[in-house]
Amino acid sequence: MVDLSVEVGGLRLKNPVIAAAGTFGFGTEYARLYDVGLLGGICTKGLTLKPRPGNPPPRLWETPCGLLNSIGLENPGVEAFLQEELPRMRGLGTAVIANIWGETPEEYRELAERLSRSDVDAIELNLSCPNVPGGKIRGGVPEEVARIVGLCRRVCEKPLWVKLPPEGDVLEAAQAAERAGADAVTASNTFRALAIDIEKGRPAFAGRIGGLSGPAIKPIALRVVYELVQKLKLPVIGCGGITSWQDALEFIMAGAHAVQVGTGNFIDPLCIPKIVRGLADWLAGRGMEDLEGVRGCAH
Amino acid sequence: MDKVTFRRAKVLENREVAPGIFLLRVEGDHSARPGQFYMLRAWELDPPLSRPLSVFDLDPSGVSFLYKVRGRGTRLLSRLSPGDELAALGPLGNGWKGVEGRVALVGGGLGIAPLLLSAKSVPEADVYLGFPGKPYLVEEFRKVAEKVYVTSETGEGGERGLVSDLFSPEGYDACFACGPLGMLKEVAKKCREAGVPLYVSLEERMACGLGACLGCTVPTKGGPRRVCKDGPVFLAEEPCWDG
Ligand SMILES: Cc1cc2nc3c(=O)[nH]c(=O)nc-3n(C[C@H](O)[C@H](O)[C@H](O)COP(=O)(O)OP(=O)(O)OC[C@H]3O[C@@H](n4cnc5c(N)ncnc54)[C@H](O)[C@@H]3O)c2cc1C
Ligand SMILES: Cc1cc2nc3c(=O)[nH]c(=O)nc-3n(C[C@H](O)[C@H](O)[C@H](O)COP(=O)(O)O)c2cc1C
Ligand code: FES
Repeated sequence: MVDLSVEVGGLRLKNPVIAAAGTFGFGTEYARLYDVGLLGGICTKGLTLKPRPGNPPPRLWETPCGLLNSIGLENPGVEAFLQEELPRMRGLGTAVIANIWGETPEEYRELAERLSRSDVDAIELNLSCPNVPGGKIRGGVPEEVARIVGLCRRVCEKPLWVKLPPEGDVLEAAQAAERAGADAVTASNTFRALAIDIEKGRPAFAGRIGGLSGPAIKPIALRVVYELVQKLKLPVIGCGGITSWQDALEFIMAGAHAVQVGTGNFIDPLCIPKIVRGLADWLAGRGMEDLEGVRGCAH
Repeated sequence: MDKVTFRRAKVLENREVAPGIFLLRVEGDHSARPGQFYMLRAWELDPPLSRPLSVFDLDPSGVSFLYKVRGRGTRLLSRLSPGDELAALGPLGNGWKGVEGRVALVGGGLGIAPLLLSAKSVPEADVYLGFPGKPYLVEEFRKVAEKVYVTSETGEGGERGLVSDLFSPEGYDACFACGPLGMLKEVAKKCREAGVPLYVSLEERMACGLGACLGCTVPTKGGPRRVCKDGPVFLAEEPCWDG
């Protein structure tokens, strides 16, 4: 019998494949299409203290095998999430990871404190959103990471995951998160990137810089995970460009405890259950019972 | 809520009805309300996103789409032959619920695509179709609507001019319009002046089509709304037209 369940940063997941923040809403949208209870977990859209309307259109722009987005953290705010979305999410039969974003370190703490008293299974600090005007990418600066994680750790009993950008001092930032008490590191968010609308002669997005995701970034995201795993004690959750079970297996062989799938859901809306199936079949085909034997085998 | 499926389906027909404009018919027992759409793809990873196309028609053997070749995605669709497969997610969106009374359906260019099902579901509707050049598929509309007015910018096959100039909302209880932004704004102005409720179908780039990614959100008077889930059909006074 194959057992895909994993323990990641203080949380037991039925399998290691998680829907990445911002690509899967609050889970209920995809629940119209299939049983999302098949997922290892769902990261929510990035939550903020107050509701945010997000950026003006266009918010999406394609590049070869890649997707640029500039959503700007549109979300109903943490209170509306707790009142309306969380009860429905709880009924989906999978782990709920609240992804949060604060304008200041204190806002992160306030969000973490509020969510720590709720029914979510874990909290993921988004220290890496490229799409908020004036918002700094704190995840690349180790001192900032240490400060925010430290503040949140003190008020948060739930597993605390830290999502880093793929750029900047990623290793030092991850080590800072580890020292400050994080339970896991998610690597990574999107790459800061640009598209120019040649008809208008200006950047495609009103906020100019967007975030690049999808198969185009997979080899780089994989390299980031590979390097982090060599130096960190914390479990690493791999993310970036995963669209198949083969991709997921690469991240696991690089040492990831779990993976997140974002843009893959747009390429194939049934992508995550197919990855879960594919991993189970691959293990069964080799007479293996779990992923322990292959995790990190590529080092 | 409607059942949404994602499945592979065989192409029955993919015919060029006018230069660069194709009628694609796909096998399957599909259902859809007027104004609903599917996300289609006939390729693996690239381009990453599927392409949203309105349901043009439904029949017992399949569903059809009317589309214009604009970029890479629609070009790839245009190369499909009968027997080839594509993947379809849908039906998506709120669709047009239809209304009682005298109704006008106004379409400009590819905006005619969602109007045929509407004309079928509201048999007393009058249809206004605007084309840049020689009209196409007008006979499909004549089969289901008594009055079909046709304009063409070149004057071929219809009255010379723009459909938004020819159309007058006087005497109608409701209108449904679809087409380029300039045309929608013009029709909206006339309907507002005449006090006739107008429904419009909006377009945005889409990733998930299900309401999950917030890639297609537009600002409206009631706050941000997802074109794929809360729309694509909106009352014309809802969207903030100028961003
Ligand atoms: C709900 C809905 C229903 C729709 N129904 C229909 C329908 O029934 N029929 C129909 O024909 N269409 C319909 N559309 C529109 C259709 O989805 C688009 O035409 C299609 O997605 C275009 O895809 P593409 O790959 O061919 O073009 P893309 O490659 O996506 O390009 C679109 C346009 O952008 C331009 N572009 C690309 N990159 C740049 C750049 N860097 N600078 C400037 N310009 C650039 C391209 O030249 C092209 O003209 C609908 C859309 C929505 C949202
Ligand atoms: C449309 C969109 C919205 C996103 N929103 C968020 C978000 O709210 N919070 C966050 O931490 N990451 C967000 N991301 C980043 C993804 O969670 C993921 O880290 C990134 O896209 C790379 O993975 P992928 O290549 O599998 O998409 C978003 C990505 C996309 C494409
Ligand atoms: S396309 Fe994803 S929310 Fe509309």
